Amino acid sequence: MSRSATSPATLAPEAVHPSLWLASQLAHSATRCADTGFAALSAQLPGGGWPLGVLIDLLVQQHGIGELRLLRPALLGLGKRPIVMLQPPHAPQALALAALGLEPSQLVWIRSGAKSGDALWAAEQVLRSGCCGALLLWQNHARGETLRRLHLAAQSGDTLFCMLRPLAAAQDASPAPLRLSLHTAPGGVNIGFVKRRGPQRDTPLFLPLTPSLLQRHAPLDRTTPATAPARSILPALVG
Amino acid sequence: MAMSALARQAGVEVGMRRGGALMLAPQSQFQQRAPQLEADAQQAVAMALLQFTPQLAQAEEGTLLLDVGASLRLFGGIRALCRLVAASMEALGFTAWLSCAPTARGAWLLARSNAGRALTMDALVRRMDRLPGSLLPPARPYLSWFEGIGCLTLGEMRRLPRPGLQRRCGRALLDMLDDAHGERAEMHQWLEAPASFRAKLELFDRVENAEALLFGARRLLQQLTGWLSARQFAVERIRLLLEHERGKVAGPPTVIDIMLAEPTWRDEHLVRLLKERLAKQVLDAPVIGLCLEAPQVQPMAPPSDSLFPEPGGSKEDWQRLLELLTARLGPENVLQAAPRADYRPEQANAWVSVQEKIRPADARAQLPPDMPSLPRPAWLLAKPIPLLMRDHRPYYGSPLKIMSTGERIEAGWWGAMQTRDYFMAEGEDHAHYWLYRERTGHEGEQSARWYLHGLFG
Repeated sequence: MSRSATSPATLAPEAVHPSLWLASQLAHSATRCADTGFAALSAQLPGGGWPLGVLIDLLVQQHGIGELRLLRPALLGLGKRPIVMLQPPHAPQALALAALGLEPSQLVWIRSGAKSGDALWAAEQVLRSGCCGALLLWQNHARGETLRRLHLAAQSGDTLFCMLRPLAAAQDASPAPLRLSLHTAPGGVNIGFVKRRGPQRDTPLFLPLTPSLLQRHAPLDRTTPATAPARSILPALVG
Repeated sequence: MAMSALARQAGVEVGMRRGGALMLAPQSQFQQRAPQLEADAQQAVAMALLQFTPQLAQAEEGTLLLDVGASLRLFGGIRALCRLVAASMEALGFTAWLSCAPTARGAWLLARSNAGRALTMDALVRRMDRLPGSLLPPARPYLSWFEGIGCLTLGEMRRLPRPGLQRRCGRALLDMLDDAHGERAEMHQWLEAPASFRAKLELFDRVENAEALLFGARRLLQQLTGWLSARQFAVERIRLLLEHERGKVAGPPTVIDIMLAEPTWRDEHLVRLLKERLAKQVLDAPVIGLCLEAPQVQPMAPPSDSLFPEPGGSKEDWQRLLELLTARLGPENVLQAAPRADYRPEQANAWVSVQEKIRPADARAQLPPDMPSLPRPAWLLAKPIPLLMRDHRPYYGSPLKIMSTGERIEAGWWGAMQTRDYFMAEGEDHAHYWLYRERTGHEGEQSARWYLHGLFG
């Protein structure tokens, strides 16, 4: 009698069922995860990486603040599997993506068609087919039911599915189990944890993410644009 | 003579006069029996059913005989096969009575009386013995005689003395009975699939909505599947012709051409492709007929099964996905990278439709060798944005601070000449931008214009 009364209190919740966790600890991930490549970030995510086969919400302050640099290690980890970019805000540049380590042959850029629902339709087809390594979807407005639908479609495969939306969308509810906000910061990005299966974290996580060229050279603190110096870093390319 | 289920509900019966039928169902329509159309329909059904067996023969009174003995294992047993055949008939828009029996004539008799399946010889004999004698065509002229001697069913007919029956009714009746009981080897003339495929379908009405044509197209695809299976072909290209009205407003048929990256002989993928293509199609005139052609075929290559399935799906799945996306969004919206060896960023960053075949090695060869040292932004603006100048600094939301040494690009004297100095800059919001300064012919700080050309993703 006494054993039955005390054992539930001493039993750890995660031992009862894998999907249970205490509010003070990170959940175990039920799905496979892809390593983020940043130890500081991986330590903050349930499962220790980007979960595969679920909807991941990335809320960006503005386009071009390092979202691809953030995803780069995970995309490289996919190997040769195709990466689909669905209605990105601007034309992606194959040269820059190749410099990140992505083969030109694995990139597919889909522009949205004439109808507004085309992008969501295409996203669902890509997710259901399950033959893509990653799907990056840029979408400004998405209703709750379309998010749920995409989340369901993502669960049919193990595609890394990131939806990049503006920061304002953080106010709306989303079925995504992981929602991160990205803010610019000097020398990198601040990652805010809007939603994760784990304890609430209010202080953003800073990740150093500068474009690769700037990492090699100290930033030049000049007020006026320099006239082209005599010795350029890339003499072979000039002319 | 036949009638629809609605007419039967209204009380119309076979053998009624025209006026009587009209009284019961005023909106009924009368059609003359057209032997040519019936033959065409039977041909279409035969073509579609070739996907289940290559041994298919046409028999009397609008029946088709299929020898499925060799197909049972492939399609997962007789019940599964019957379901598939029934589904195929439904897709074609015909109603059919389906029967199975160990002998062809037995199956024919069961089908003519809609008596279902008999899988063993005993069951067939038991079931056949109860069928009326009028089912056999050679017995019909002698029906009154059979009735006179009280011989009404096939079982009773078979118990009559054979020599007498042969003398009175001829050899054909006895042969048919023997065929049904498996006592005589049956000979069939198997249907041969034609060398090239072309199927037509007349629509019942003038169709003005392209999506409504999918129903008809699906019927034609059923026939195509049967033809492909019979000839052991896989199709590389299909062409659907939408025929418009003849007469004063006659026009050439609208052609929908579908190229396939991976040859296929299954219809699900073709149906999905056609659905998306038809949804995009704008019809100039109502359509009255459909015609499907398969201009390009190649021998069927069976899929090679691997012991362990690949994690990312097969290459064919990926091609099929791209085809489907292209069919709906248009080839100009589904793009793959085709970098070109050019100094100018716009020219170097070329994207072409996924339908074009690019070897990965070729694409890689076009990339510069020292790629990681090249400052290239992930996003390239379609049109460079001219920047304002404030305090001699370019301004985009906030004053921009130049972070790198310049990269001079000067190329394209043969066409679109570019003389630019590119810089990486950082705004006060700590986002990185890719700027360039247009170098004009004459020197001077005032004439230099700054443009924003890219964002570092």
